[in-house]
Amino acid sequence: MSWLSFVFITEPSFWVFFVLFFTGAFCLGYYWQGKESRVKILIEEANLKTTQIAELEKVNQELEKKNRELYSKELELTMANKHLQTLEQAKSKFVSVTTHQLRTPLAAVKWTLDMATKGELGIIDEEQKEFLGKGLTSVNRVISIVNDLLKIDSIDSAREEYDFKPTDIVKLIDDVFFEFNNQASVKKISLVVEKPKTAIPYIDLDADKIRMVLENLIDNAIKYTPIGGQVTVRLLDSRINSVEGALEISVSDSGIGIPPEETNKVFQKFFRAANAIKNEPDGSGLGLFIAHDIIEKHNGSIWFKTNSGKEGSGGSQGTTFSFTLPLHQKKV
Amino acid sequence: MADKKKVLIVEDDEFLRSLTAKKLEGEGYEVIVAVDGPNAISSIPENAPDLIFLDLLLPGGKDGFDVLTAIKADEKTKNIPVIVFSNLGQKEDIEKAKSLGAEDFLVKANFTLDDVILKIKEILK
Repeated sequence: MSWLSFVFITEPSFWVFFVLFFTGAFCLGYYWQGKESRVKILIEEANLKTTQIAELEKVNQELEKKNRELYSKELELTMANKHLQTLEQAKSKFVSVTTHQLRTPLAAVKWTLDMATKGELGIIDEEQKEFLGKGLTSVNRVISIVNDLLKIDSIDSAREEYDFKPTDIVKLIDDVFFEFNNQASVKKISLVVEKPKTAIPYIDLDADKIRMVLENLIDNAIKYTPIGGQVTVRLLDSRINSVEGALEISVSDSGIGIPPEETNKVFQKFFRAANAIKNEPDGSGLGLFIAHDIIEKHNGSIWFKTNSGKEGSGGSQGTTFSFTLPLHQKKV
Repeated sequence: MADKKKVLIVEDDEFLRSLTAKKLEGEGYEVIVAVDGPNAISSIPENAPDLIFLDLLLPGGKDGFDVLTAIKADEKTKNIPVIVFSNLGQKEDIEKAKSLGAEDFLVKANFTLDDVILKIKEILK
């Protein structure tokens, strides 16, 4: 055996064969091993992809489901919105029709009582006159409430729709004054505007809403000012060039003032000062509440100074309501 | 009173019409009335009133705005002052009436007939 081995070892071809064989075996082994691990990786990758795809499909399905849910929610919302709009329109129509239908018979009652109280429908005694006068006061109160309901409705139906546009406030005040000429002349009250010498710039505001504020303040001022008094609207430009950049507008009257114990309730809904009820029973207590709301939506502020002429209060009697309007509204 | 001024009241509500007529007659005016739109349109050129009180919501297919337009379109009647006397009183109605040439706009419920007389005297003076 050893001899045979020796022959082989000494034979060069054996070495060639030997080397080739082992190299080949080694390479083959290495190759197979590599292939096996690559396959393993590939299989792992494939598995991973499959799970990922499955997961993605799941996510996709969920998304589709959510989408469908969203769509049906949107549909629901659209329907609800439409329903609300119809309701809102119906309500507005109801209020305007009702108030109009109410005003006609109310005017008839008012005129009749007014003529009767003055003895134009026949001679009446003092007691009858007193009762008829109280009837007239009541009907005036109802008319005033109807008027305010109309105002509130017009605000409500446009609650979110504030249409800020650069506006000539001086002209707006002129327009409102024109509207109140009759009412003021009946009480011989003079309406005065005081404005700075320099021109007032256009202000970003909702003209209809600010008109309402001016109407409310001027209406109150005329109501609570005695015959022959004065109502002044003042434009103050002192804050225009400040950081605030606002115009200040005030409405002053020479009226009865607001009692000090009631000044904290002025902007509340349905507030009526005790002395106001005595002097002018037909207010509804909504005007200042409305004005406050509108000025807040303009990012301005509203306040007042008053002197009801009570002991120790000094100064001249009357009330001044002031509000500020920023020149520009921030773009939303 | 030699020159009794003639006032036309265009009003569909019977009671308001008669109250206004009574008040105006008491103040020495000659009163004529119309109860609907067409009635008013035909009556105006015929009677040539000095002043017209015009309600806005009127029956008969022509409302107050139509009547006002007809008055202002006719050479003979366009200078007659018209006071719109309605209960609508919304800003748009007031603006519309003014743009059509109304002298003034009064919301009925907010005025008494005494205020109305003052208004007439002011316009007819």
